[in-house]
Amino acid sequence: MDKHRQGATASYVVLALCAVLWVVLPAAVHRFAQEAFAEFQAPALHLAGKARDLARFWELKSRDKEEILAASRDLARANAALELQLRRYDDVRKENVRLREMLRYAPPPEYLTVVARVAVRDSSTWWQRIVIRKGSDDGVRAGCPVIFSDRVIGKVAVAHHTTSEVDLITSPNFRCTGFLEGDDQNRIVLVTGAPGRGLATGRARVSAIPQDYFYPAVGGAPKVMTTGLGGVYPAGLILGHLEGSQRTTQDGNFRESSLAPTRDLFSLQEVTVLVPKYPTPGETLLEDQAQKRLDELR
Amino acid sequence: MVWSWFIVLLATLPCLWVADLLTDALAGTNLILFVSGAAIVAPCRRLKRWQAVLFAACVGFLFEARRPIPPGTLPFLLAGLSIFLTSNRILLRNTPLVLRGALICNTLACTAWFTAAGLRAGAVTAGDLGDFTLQLLLQVGLAAAVALLVFVPLALIQDAAMDRTGLPPALESP
Repeated sequence: MDKHRQGATASYVVLALCAVLWVVLPAAVHRFAQEAFAEFQAPALHLAGKARDLARFWELKSRDKEEILAASRDLARANAALELQLRRYDDVRKENVRLREMLRYAPPPEYLTVVARVAVRDSSTWWQRIVIRKGSDDGVRAGCPVIFSDRVIGKVAVAHHTTSEVDLITSPNFRCTGFLEGDDQNRIVLVTGAPGRGLATGRARVSAIPQDYFYPAVGGAPKVMTTGLGGVYPAGLILGHLEGSQRTTQDGNFRESSLAPTRDLFSLQEVTVLVPKYPTPGETLLEDQAQKRLDELR
Repeated sequence: MVWSWFIVLLATLPCLWVADLLTDALAGTNLILFVSGAAIVAPCRRLKRWQAVLFAACVGFLFEARRPIPPGTLPFLLAGLSIFLTSNRILLRNTPLVLRGALICNTLACTAWFTAAGLRAGAVTAGDLGDFTLQLLLQVGLAAAVALLVFVPLALIQDAAMDRTGLPPALESP
């Protein structure tokens, strides 16, 4: 019995030592362990996502032929209208490039688009995430914006080899600047995710709303759009719309309000990741710091 | 058998993934279906101590891998619990006691990761303690209910895997 108890005490001591060692070990080791276990689970996530796609495929296949024909006809019409618009935008783009060259104005960041299916959704009080079935093997990098149509969904938090974790705009880790619809002076507001409350769907928070900002209630709730500052999100994407009453902050200089996403973020099946063609200023800064640290080590 | 713990882990994996899929279905309610704490109890009755510790640590790492929880919180807690359970097998001598063990382990582990994640997110402040407690109670309540509902089928799967690896059955009075 004593031997048994001694064995237990020794195990506790070894565990405590391992815990201390774990804390002391560099972050790279933690990241490696996390990455290894995430990669181990990746095939299961792919399988779950594909099973859902298969179920959707059979559901669509069971639909009436006439219904599909009507949908196809509608799509063809929409495509024709969009082609016309594309041509018009091409002319505008060329003119824009020419004017920028004349003014020697820095070109806006260019993005590659990576379309990804959603594998699983994971929401808690402290995080709201989706896992998508594209990862670093497809060029996705941490920090890349994730959108659906012209709406911001979130940004890539971690990119594994074949999957990526996306922090939604309602996640407490999310930060972004925005413009308010109807504000002619284009004053910047701050959009941050907020911890979940009760069983309610997540909401974000809009702070630093100017006291004199007023939007007529006729056109519905005002939209909040990305500024394009900081180089992460392209300008003009919709973050959501202001919801509920606006409260004055404690210092009395600004107001704040809740932000409701433009659609249910947990019902998305597919999203688009915008991968910057060239490194963003943040990535360049991190690269420089990493290089400096390497030089110091040398 | 040296690799028994790994075989039990492979047998447990589908259950953990099913829990993840059900969490997916619950998305939007801010709740996670947490079973990792309950999953370590049945193996602790039969596996050797070092095997149970390895098993518990792996289960913890699997839960943490895709979530913003301070690394190591859950694996070390579950490893500590597994040392306690393997050292006091008398506490797991019959089914009601094992069920009670699963309930306690699951709620303890759930409280640990929830608090650690909240602290990491920097969202736990003195002014928000009421909200924090409410959210914690909701999450821990669900974890307790899930432990009670899921433990028996989970333990049956794990016991079947341990039988296959030739591990001796758990003693009624260890």
